[in-house]
Amino acid sequence: MPYFEDLELGDQVGPVETVATDESVASFCDIWKPPSPNRFTDIETARASGMSGTIVPGIMAMAMMAQLLTDWAGPDCIRDMDVVFRQPVPHNSPLTLEATITDLRQEDGQNLAECDILMLGSKGERHVGGRALVSLPSRE
Amino acid sequence: MTLELNYDRSLHEKEHMAGPFEITPEMIQAVNASLGEKGAAFGSDEGARGSGFSRMMAPPTLCSIFVREVQLPDVGIDFGKTQMHAGQRVQPVAPIYAGDQVTASSHLKEVYAKTGRSGTMVFIVWETTFRNQDGQVVAEVQESFARRE
Repeated sequence: MPYFEDLELGDQVGPVETVATDESVASFCDIWKPPSPNRFTDIETARASGMSGTIVPGIMAMAMMAQLLTDWAGPDCIRDMDVVFRQPVPHNSPLTLEATITDLRQEDGQNLAECDILMLGSKGERHVGGRALVSLPSRE
Repeated sequence: MTLELNYDRSLHEKEHMAGPFEITPEMIQAVNASLGEKGAAFGSDEGARGSGFSRMMAPPTLCSIFVREVQLPDVGIDFGKTQMHAGQRVQPVAPIYAGDQVTASSHLKEVYAKTGRSGTMVFIVWETTFRNQDGQVVAEVQESFARRE
């Protein structure tokens, strides 16, 4: 786990490559229980919504991005995460997760790193973007 | 020119409740499996203790899946025909553990218009506060929905 003092502005977390498969989206939807049929698991419903194929639910995409941060800085590191769903996230397609530190500060007794966080597609398209505030341990 | 938005403004003052929802180990494991989550603290009590926590934890955005369970009313806005999930904000306040019972309380946070290159969009933002069985706030979640002209 990184220490606050070791970080600098511009440091990157990731990139990490991942894929949301048909099976993983179906498993997520089994727990989340969106109305069925839906554009996440049903191709006809997705096409009727103007999509070229089934898409990854926004909250699943966000959970994948949160995982990038918890793998880096620990299971309870996230203080705030705010994302915008810019483009539909496709199934079965390579996705890249990365974060860049944009601010480091100490606030209310916490060591905080603010990050820009992105989910990119195989051609570099920005599917999901936003910011996150991560709490980190100190060496002191 | 400022767009005048007509919708049910009384919803700003109303709380819509749902739950309690039990956070079971099986639920956490199922979410982990769908995400490929392998973090030790999310995998078992033993893994959580090894990371300095008392028992198995839920991943930090897991409570978002319960927002759907809140019966949110139509805001009655007279703008646009289609609505899409535009954004999501999660502010974890305290860990959620396996075995916790969480309740959700949602209200309409804001409705606003933005005009860009593709025209005007109206954003509807719902805010949900999650509390555990002790009444402690464990997370705040905001969901934004965009409506197009």
